[in-house]
Amino acid sequence: MSGSGIYGPSTTSSSLVTPALTLLAQDNPSQIDSVALDFLLIELVQILQASSRHATARLRAKEEEMISAGLLPPPLPVPPNKDGVSKEQEEEEEALRLRLEDIGAAVGGALAERLSKDKARFQDTLDAIKFICKDLWSAAWDKQVDNLRTNHRGVYVVQDNAFKPLLRLSSPAGTADALKQSKLYVAIPTGIIRGALGRLGFNASVAPEVMALPQCTFQIKLPKGQ
Amino acid sequence: MAAKQHKAVGDDLWKARTEKINAELFTLTYGALVVQLIQDYEDYAEVNKQLEKMGYNIGTRLIEDFIARSNTGRCNDFREVGEVIAKVGFKAFLNITPTVTHSSLPTNPLVGTSSAAGLIGSVGSSFTLTLDENPLAEIVELPDEALEGELWFSNVLCGVLRGALEMVQMQVEAVFISDVLRGDDTTEIRVKLVKYLEEEVPVGDD
Repeated sequence: MSGSGIYGPSTTSSSLVTPALTLLAQDNPSQIDSVALDFLLIELVQILQASSRHATARLRAKEEEMISAGLLPPPLPVPPNKDGVSKEQEEEEEALRLRLEDIGAAVGGALAERLSKDKARFQDTLDAIKFICKDLWSAAWDKQVDNLRTNHRGVYVVQDNAFKPLLRLSSPAGTADALKQSKLYVAIPTGIIRGALGRLGFNASVAPEVMALPQCTFQIKLPKGQ
Repeated sequence: MAAKQHKAVGDDLWKARTEKINAELFTLTYGALVVQLIQDYEDYAEVNKQLEKMGYNIGTRLIEDFIARSNTGRCNDFREVGEVIAKVGFKAFLNITPTVTHSSLPTNPLVGTSSAAGLIGSVGSSFTLTLDENPLAEIVELPDEALEGELWFSNVLCGVLRGALEMVQMQVEAVFISDVLRGDDTTEIRVKLVKYLEEEVPVGDD
């Protein structure tokens, strides 16, 4: 090939492959059916419940050993809380929730890395939050956030009125039960947001809140000076 | 159904009727789950078992979705089961088409007969699915420990096959024979028909 085209005078065809084209070619993510992910997310909770019980039991067994060997004082008995939930149950739920969040954090970190690979490092917390609201949200949940509020002092509240993980959540036992269950379903997303911000260099705390399905808000606190 | 027709059904299902998402969410979630299970159990054999169990639960639900969307009728024999799984099932959900290699035993008139209309096939026959691509394991490299400990990273797939087929009256054993993640040349799952389940429910018997 000879002559000058839009890429300038050239005698080879390799100059037709611009950096932009190469990038497009590299970004050819493989796809799967969304149902596969839906099922995975449902069953994953069960399997983690079992594994976290196993791990907790192992820890408790070690504690027992240490207590009977006199290395640890015996624990004080704790009465169940106001909902009749025992300390063990609470610990179990918490252990499960943490595991779900950790999985989310791994996913969020990797997503953030891929999505921001061509952008300059975020200097501003607001830029990072905007990235979360647009880029991350689209990659993870196929839409952008509906509402963003801030107190301009490091606290951001992000709101999604039709949050994908909650769209098909309902319970035969009624709305109250569905709301209770929603805590489990927002654990992974909470982790995704935290993990994404972490990969971008921001050490955030993220707290989810579901007042009415399928709406969800996340309160993101970024420490001062970041 | 001829093999070509299965492929056409699979392609159509993938193109027209699925809601597609990026595989990375799936891959990342699954990968993080396996890591957590390894931490919790500290036992690769147990992790394999748990992944298979999770797959079983998924498979029992997945089959309903599959049947509803694909309008596939009953398979005529176990050979066809393999074809449908490879060309329609895997294609519709994971957008991959593993190669299927059949290995059937000669028909034994005493075993494996089923009252189910049209289902002829020998107990003991099997097929092998060879996966050229595996969306579950796209960005995974197993540490040496896991390799020596005999982790089958994608063992959930074996469970899915077992659960799904059980819902259509086939008891199978599905196991990994090899995995490129473990340094093997291929990634293969072997599915063997153990028995048809209908015969196991004699009416009025103890």
